[in-house]
Amino acid sequence: MNIELDLSKPLNQVRRKLLAGFSDTDRDAYAHLVDWLRKTDVAAGALQVGDTAPDFLLPDVHGQLHSSEHLRGEGPLVVSFYRGGWCPFCNAELRALQAVKAEFDSLKANLVVLSPETGDLPRQLKRQLNLDLTVLADVDHAVAISYGVLFRLPDEAKAHYAGQGYDFGRRHGSTEWMLPIPATFVVDQGGIVRGAFVEPDFTIRQEPSDILSKVRQLARSQAEDAAAFDE
Amino acid sequence: MELHQVRYFLVVASALNLTRAVEMCNVTQPALTKGVQKLEQELGGQLIYRERQLTHLTDLGKAVLPMLERALASTEAVRRRAREFRQEEVAPLTIGLAPSISAALVLEPIAEIRKVVPGLHVELREEPPSRLVELLLEGEVNLALVGDLDDKPDRIDDWALFEERYVAVLAPSHELAGLPVIGMKALREATILDRFNCDVAPKFQRLCFPDTLPHYNHRSSRDLHLQHLAAAGFGIVLAPEHMPRLPSLKALPIEGDPVWREVRLLVVQGRRYSPALDAFVKVARLRDWSLHAGSPLQAEHRGHLEASGMFARFGSPIS
Repeated sequence: MNIELDLSKPLNQVRRKLLAGFSDTDRDAYAHLVDWLRKTDVAAGALQVGDTAPDFLLPDVHGQLHSSEHLRGEGPLVVSFYRGGWCPFCNAELRALQAVKAEFDSLKANLVVLSPETGDLPRQLKRQLNLDLTVLADVDHAVAISYGVLFRLPDEAKAHYAGQGYDFGRRHGSTEWMLPIPATFVVDQGGIVRGAFVEPDFTIRQEPSDILSKVRQLARSQAEDAAAFDE
Repeated sequence: MELHQVRYFLVVASALNLTRAVEMCNVTQPALTKGVQKLEQELGGQLIYRERQLTHLTDLGKAVLPMLERALASTEAVRRRAREFRQEEVAPLTIGLAPSISAALVLEPIAEIRKVVPGLHVELREEPPSRLVELLLEGEVNLALVGDLDDKPDRIDDWALFEERYVAVLAPSHELAGLPVIGMKALREATILDRFNCDVAPKFQRLCFPDTLPHYNHRSSRDLHLQHLAAAGFGIVLAPEHMPRLPSLKALPIEGDPVWREVRLLVVQGRRYSPALDAFVKVARLRDWSLHAGSPLQAEHRGHLEASGMFARFGSPIS
């Protein structure tokens, strides 16, 4: 799908434009998958506000390892799961996050996006979208499982994506076709989830402005706590 | 899918007995059954057949088992790493290398791992690929890097890391050194330095010397010895493009690039991952191996290599 997107607009407007470009087959497959995800209640096991976020250690596209403890060392950590470089909704979200990266930096918040893809694919995506976000590879989906956002593609969805030429087994370095539900978590410095956006409808993403607002709120309350401690 | 459901399923898959699995998980049987059933619902089918005392994995259960085992092993390794980091525990990692795989390939990954596993103690073992598979299964080697492998047990996880070609390494004073490429006829007439136990020799024989034996006059079991012989003008070394070489040698492509191989990472399925092994597998499956390999991507990365100073260390590019 090659659609010019205006990323100054909210992501929900971008979504409408992308959905308008769906073929009938795309629309049927989309409706079927979202219906299955809701019926199966896959998102029920996802981390919620107040839960402890499991720690992780993942490589970035240069093969350098990043630990969650280190990433939340100086401020909040934002963890965003995306489905892969093949997904136009993910790419729109990544570009929208890139557009506000400086604001995360100014709040001393680390934003990491987790890809289920391995090998050269996350590198290619960074190059194609000209991202300087920290893209980490969730090798074997271990973090998506521990955050409760992983599912195995039902046969109909698998057939649809295979028909479009996508081989998720090869893209993920696994025989199984699994994907994360796109989700965004804001984790405080103590490792507690303070914001959780988990949406089985993979076309709906959290607006970067909403994530930033949560991060600002968290930064403010941490600053107040620190001031109270000093007194 | 939740972690505790995955853990219940993996314990049942290992014990193949529900009563024992309940004891091992320290939960009630209804809780364990409910967890596995929820996982089955999400994965779209039954994972386990239950027949009185007997429990078997279904085809779906067998299919998802390796990936779920790796995911859980990784999660547990991350937890152990935090503890080992605090206690500065020794973290051994034994890496098996096939004879045609240079240790230069693993230097950057292990340097990266040492940052997060400070107690890392690395041992490098060189063995033929079939022996490395045995050592992996015996637990003597934690992971192995090999080239082509004819036969691999199902219990071994296997990832192709990159593809590379073989080149001719020779002294600048060699009579063929001035050519842009070594022709097949010239190669067949040249003296080839023979490496004992070379895992790629049969492939070279089949693809480059189908009707005749190479002229092998001199031999060694060590690449460095062969390179010294080549530098002294005793012949040509046929080497994978990633192999570091003496500064006094040059490498030339062979006409038509007839011999290629994939470099593969092998790890035993279902074993507990140490933090060091977990970190190595993750880095290996993501890093840009084309920086060291002869794949078509190499040209694109050459500028970066030169800029980072890695070019001289790995010395792969054809000069």
